[in-house]
Amino acid sequence: MTEYTDELNRFMRAIVQGTDVSPQIDTIYQNYSLDIAIEIYRNNYRGNLHDALTGAYPVILQLVGDEFFRYLTRSYIGQYPSVSANLYHYGEQMSVFLQEFPPAQALPYLPDVAVLEWTCQIAYFATDEPNFALDKLALIPAEQHPNLILHTACHVLRSNYPLTAIWQAHQPGADIQINLASGGSIALVSRLANIVQVSELSEADACWLQRIQVRDTLGLATEATLALHPDFNLQATLLALLKQGVLTGFHLESTS
Amino acid sequence: MKAILTTAIGGFLVLGLAGAANAATPQMEKCFGVAKAGMNDCSSNKSSHSCAGQATKNSDSNDFVALPKGTCNKIANGSLVADAMMKKAM
Repeated sequence: MTEYTDELNRFMRAIVQGTDVSPQIDTIYQNYSLDIAIEIYRNNYRGNLHDALTGAYPVILQLVGDEFFRYLTRSYIGQYPSVSANLYHYGEQMSVFLQEFPPAQALPYLPDVAVLEWTCQIAYFATDEPNFALDKLALIPAEQHPNLILHTACHVLRSNYPLTAIWQAHQPGADIQINLASGGSIALVSRLANIVQVSELSEADACWLQRIQVRDTLGLATEATLALHPDFNLQATLLALLKQGVLTGFHLESTS
Repeated sequence: MKAILTTAIGGFLVLGLAGAANAATPQMEKCFGVAKAGMNDCSSNKSSHSCAGQATKNSDSNDFVALPKGTCNKIANGSLVADAMMKKAM
């Protein structure tokens, strides 16, 4: 049994790392030598992972072009073997990888784009959340409003680069008019039905939403935000987030 | 604070219930094995690598110049290398 496991591990290394296969391995295909057969297996392994990365990182693919993306994924696949049977889990370390991948150093915003695209991947496969029950909110007496704790389904990402604009420019039909010097960005990732959206958040909205995400009460979050951003408009923000599918529910903080 | 919240939530409820806001989130059933757009599996392998086509050692070496050639070239001020080269040229 140990010998069998050893053989499997050796075979895995041959596929993943390119080491020699065991002399006990043989091929049943007469038309292919063992070396060729192993190459085919290896290329299928890499090809599947390459495709998984293509699906997870469509914006990076467009940014760097097919040839460079293939080169990049080849290096990534060599460095990060697949550890899940689900291919949609493959590619999580792309941002870390890009930070250190020498040929990508000229594009300093690339790691942030990778974080955003992986966040979109997570959002896409996340479990469905219920629609926000406005009718139930209407039943809450006004004096209880400060104690509301809102439930959200979204991610907020801050970048020193115009991340939202870069992502939006690479969606079908969009134009690429980006100046990297235009500054940072706060990207909101949400999902409406099965469509992942990325939109830009104002500092005030981000300030409020990040407090809501850590389950501050509506009263505390709004008070803290207004102190920093006097022009914060709670009603407009609530409506915008409702439309984007960010708000999913609420409960009342139990007051003592 | 309470007045601010009550006004905001009042308006939120009125506009939210009246508008199509909530109607914009239809509940859709997700099937198992749902694929992202363009990621339907059976055909995707063929486009990126054919088993026979790549079954050589040659494809292992990255003997071409590794330069990004995508839309990154269209982003103004987008490349550190380009910046450095421009400064040298000036």
